[in-house]
Amino acid sequence: MPKLVDRVKPLKNRRRKKLSAEGRWGFLMVSPYLIQFVVFLSFPLAASLYFSFSKYDMLNAPKWIGVENYTTLIQDPVFHKALWNTFYFTILFVPAQTILALVLAVALNQSLKGLKFFRIAHFIPVICSWTVVLYVADAILNPRFGLANTILAKLGSNPQAWLGDEALIIPVLVAVAVWKGVGYMMIIFLAGLQNVPEDLYEAAEIEGAGVWKKFRHVTVPLISGTTFLVLVLTTITTFQSFEQIYVMTSHLGDVTSAGGPNNASMVLMLYLFQQGFSFLKMGYASAIAWVLFIILFGITMIQLKLQKKWVYYEK
Amino acid sequence: MFNRSKKRKAISYTVILFSSLLMLTPLVSAALNSLKSYKEYTAIPVQWIPNPFQWQNYIEVWKMTSMDTYAWNSFIVTVLSVIGALLSCSMVAYAFARLEFSFKNSLFVMVLGTLMIPPVVMIIPQFMIFNQLGLVDTLVPLWILEWLAQPFGVFLMRQAFLAIPKEYDEAAKLDGCNPFQTFVKVYLPMCKPQLATLTIFTFMTKWNEIMAPVIYLSSEDKFTLPIGILSMSGAWFGQEQYLVAAALMSLLPILIVFLFAEKYFVKGASSSGLK
Repeated sequence: MPKLVDRVKPLKNRRRKKLSAEGRWGFLMVSPYLIQFVVFLSFPLAASLYFSFSKYDMLNAPKWIGVENYTTLIQDPVFHKALWNTFYFTILFVPAQTILALVLAVALNQSLKGLKFFRIAHFIPVICSWTVVLYVADAILNPRFGLANTILAKLGSNPQAWLGDEALIIPVLVAVAVWKGVGYMMIIFLAGLQNVPEDLYEAAEIEGAGVWKKFRHVTVPLISGTTFLVLVLTTITTFQSFEQIYVMTSHLGDVTSAGGPNNASMVLMLYLFQQGFSFLKMGYASAIAWVLFIILFGITMIQLKLQKKWVYYEK
Repeated sequence: MFNRSKKRKAISYTVILFSSLLMLTPLVSAALNSLKSYKEYTAIPVQWIPNPFQWQNYIEVWKMTSMDTYAWNSFIVTVLSVIGALLSCSMVAYAFARLEFSFKNSLFVMVLGTLMIPPVVMIIPQFMIFNQLGLVDTLVPLWILEWLAQPFGVFLMRQAFLAIPKEYDEAAKLDGCNPFQTFVKVYLPMCKPQLATLTIFTFMTKWNEIMAPVIYLSSEDKFTLPIGILSMSGAWFGQEQYLVAAALMSLLPILIVFLFAEKYFVKGASSSGLK
């Protein structure tokens, strides 16, 4: 008996050594991510929570003031405006872009001549920076010589101020955002549509289903998984949108005027940026960040709950 | 049945042609605007076609502004980001896909978890870190995080490695390769399409990025193209055709890459939806 143990032991040792060598390589190779996780994610997360309960201007050490930042936020009219605008923007943008992208993807999902051209035409806005979009949009939205007012004049309507109009600015920004983003989402839907088996459509046709019925009863349920993912991700990014509004509402490059006119386009991220980086109220800005985080968390939870009602999963 | 599919095609064509028109009209009008004189640019009624085409707008705006500096800064940030993303994401992804080590699964769940935390929460402390390191108003904060494996690239590369049969592993091991050598010599060459997708996506994000440059950069000679051109708009008031030309010039490199490598853009976009 002892002989057997003696024979097994070195084998076991050798195996453990081999495993730990691989283990060491494994740790070494994931180390960039570990550094990121500790230094640039975990620590910032904890620090920003602490800052949100402090008065902090980057020059002096943060001073604990309890919930004061949050109680100030509740009474801050600009914050209310920013909160409302963020919701308003998201509620207009997310459904509009999703529906349009889906329609385009369904239309493109067949053998058409010029398919590549259409795909390129819809994707070019995606590769533009917001600075490019600013000047491209100006060709349309310039109140004096843009295409939009030219068309309105031809139709006999009054010219509009577009980005200068308090009531119009958010819908106009949403339209521009859809123009820029719809191609990207269309590609995601196209990938989802290509996973729908062709024989399901054939079966539906045999049952006498028309274009609409096939769309409603085959396409929609089978890409509901993709749709759900897209909805969650776009809601999260739209809630944090900053670049478009920063660029498109800064009058003549004066970034302190961003969010205007009269805060009509002030959104949470822009307010956070101005409070933190223009006025150095880092504690107050951190509190805004955490309110944003909590709202997003809530919305994602609601979406996850509702998902069970409408997302179809193949068994 | 035949008629029905014909009808469907007709409807599809109408929808797509109309929407392509909506997509391209602003771009074409802007391109025409960039070739006008200011008198034509502001003419009422609108003068669509510039006469003559003022190609010199592009040359003049390049010469009269610091666009060369902005372009160089954008180039540095983009190139360093791409190299960092390729190295770090593929290496981390390989470890997650192919190696066995303790806490692997919980670590991977953490990667998933970080996707759920909105970046906005991290912005201020990250700025503080770079401030402590004396790196504010340098280009470093704009590219360094790409060297630490961002989740999108890790997912993309992990999927690619998982699709490769394990037998290659064994063969490399028999040849005396350590895991890192196996990764470099055997696995990386087999993932060229995904590496191309990652390159193009990092290029697009970094070339166009506005938020990080706005937060970290304050000296004009550090500006990247998007914020540099934006900063010109006050001084060039009354000569906007130059600004349009400058903006379209900043689009040119990425447009060229896009037209040649369209399929990798499409792949990147679709994989971001099917994570």
